[in-house]
Amino acid sequence: GTRQLLTCVSCCCVMATVWFKHCAKVLSHLTFKDIFNNGASSGYRPKLFSSKLLSPSVSCGCGGLHTEGDKAFGDFLSDEIKEEKKIQKNKSLPKVSGGWELEMNGTEAKLTRSVSGEKVTVTFNVNNSIPPNFEEEGEQTQQKPAEEEVSHGEGEEESDIFAIREVSFQPQGDSEWKETSYNLNTDSLDWALYDHLMDFLADRGVDNTFADELTELSTAIEHQEYIKFLEDLQGFVKCN
Amino acid sequence: MGVVLRNLQKVVPLRRARLRRDVVTLRHILGIQKFDLGIICVDNQKMQQINHIYRKKNTPTDVLSFPFYEDLRPGKLPCPLHRDELNLGDIFLGVEFVMKQCQEESLDLHGALTVVTAHGICHLLGYRHETEEEWTEMQQRENYILSEYSRLTGRHLDPLMKRCSQDR
Repeated sequence: GTRQLLTCVSCCCVMATVWFKHCAKVLSHLTFKDIFNNGASSGYRPKLFSSKLLSPSVSCGCGGLHTEGDKAFGDFLSDEIKEEKKIQKNKSLPKVSGGWELEMNGTEAKLTRSVSGEKVTVTFNVNNSIPPNFEEEGEQTQQKPAEEEVSHGEGEEESDIFAIREVSFQPQGDSEWKETSYNLNTDSLDWALYDHLMDFLADRGVDNTFADELTELSTAIEHQEYIKFLEDLQGFVKCN
Repeated sequence: MGVVLRNLQKVVPLRRARLRRDVVTLRHILGIQKFDLGIICVDNQKMQQINHIYRKKNTPTDVLSFPFYEDLRPGKLPCPLHRDELNLGDIFLGVEFVMKQCQEESLDLHGALTVVTAHGICHLLGYRHETEEEWTEMQQRENYILSEYSRLTGRHLDPLMKRCSQDR
């Protein structure tokens, strides 16, 4: 089948998605005979946009659309991928100390650890994790990801390395988030209770050291996924 | 607001609930429950940086106090007119520095942190130790605080032997 590229470019998102789907559907009805005989043998004559942008300039025989713009895009992506790989510190992901095991499922990561028979799991998704104003040359560091909705505090110098935002009881495993479970928000929490919760986490290996190492890991994962995405995009643009 | 506790370091495993409980006890002993207080736990690197900036001493230390009210008479509580003046200031605890001292002298870390915090709070309340007289006055106040602490909690705390002239 034809792959769908789901773009997410501001307000053009829906239109771009629809156009690609339409194009794929249309092209699947055409055969080589149709293309080279101007569709004379079939009663179906699809109407393509007549914009210069869409004029095919190269035919590789795949039946796909290849424009000058696509070629420039592909060349740009080659350079981008080369640059990103140069910045990539290590091909392998950094380890988190304390006996945590990492499982990856696309952009979702799961760290697990056993502490005296108790299983501790930290899950996070690197999607949408780069804050918009946090950009250093060649590297973007993520906000601290979440399992118990921990998040990075405001004010780098005098806030905790990580903080608890919300606490609730949820079903085990990958069940849906239960909205009817009481959700404790730490914005208006008794601070003694908050400190007990922090001590509780620290006893299970979720402390400032862990939070720092998690930032390194999630940054590396996000970068890895970004490069993979660029490579997929390059393949798609070259020959969809 | 109460006691704002921040842990900015990862060298020392801190028991936040224990530290907060002890600070609450100290506030009760000194009658300063209505005043806000900031306790920030930092490592040697951060402590050295702050000591260098504010005291021109490029070395870590056990405690640095930043009073909200700079000219209090020792032990005289401020009488603020507005709610946002119900603040005594911030205390930076050099937890790594204190931990090293405890290891050398076989002391309990959190007990030592409580003693150091008491010293820091005294500074916020106007106590100094620039002169012999000031030192004696401050030491008497601290001894009172620690004996009251012992009476209330059943835990005995000794004042630290070396009084650092490095802190404010």
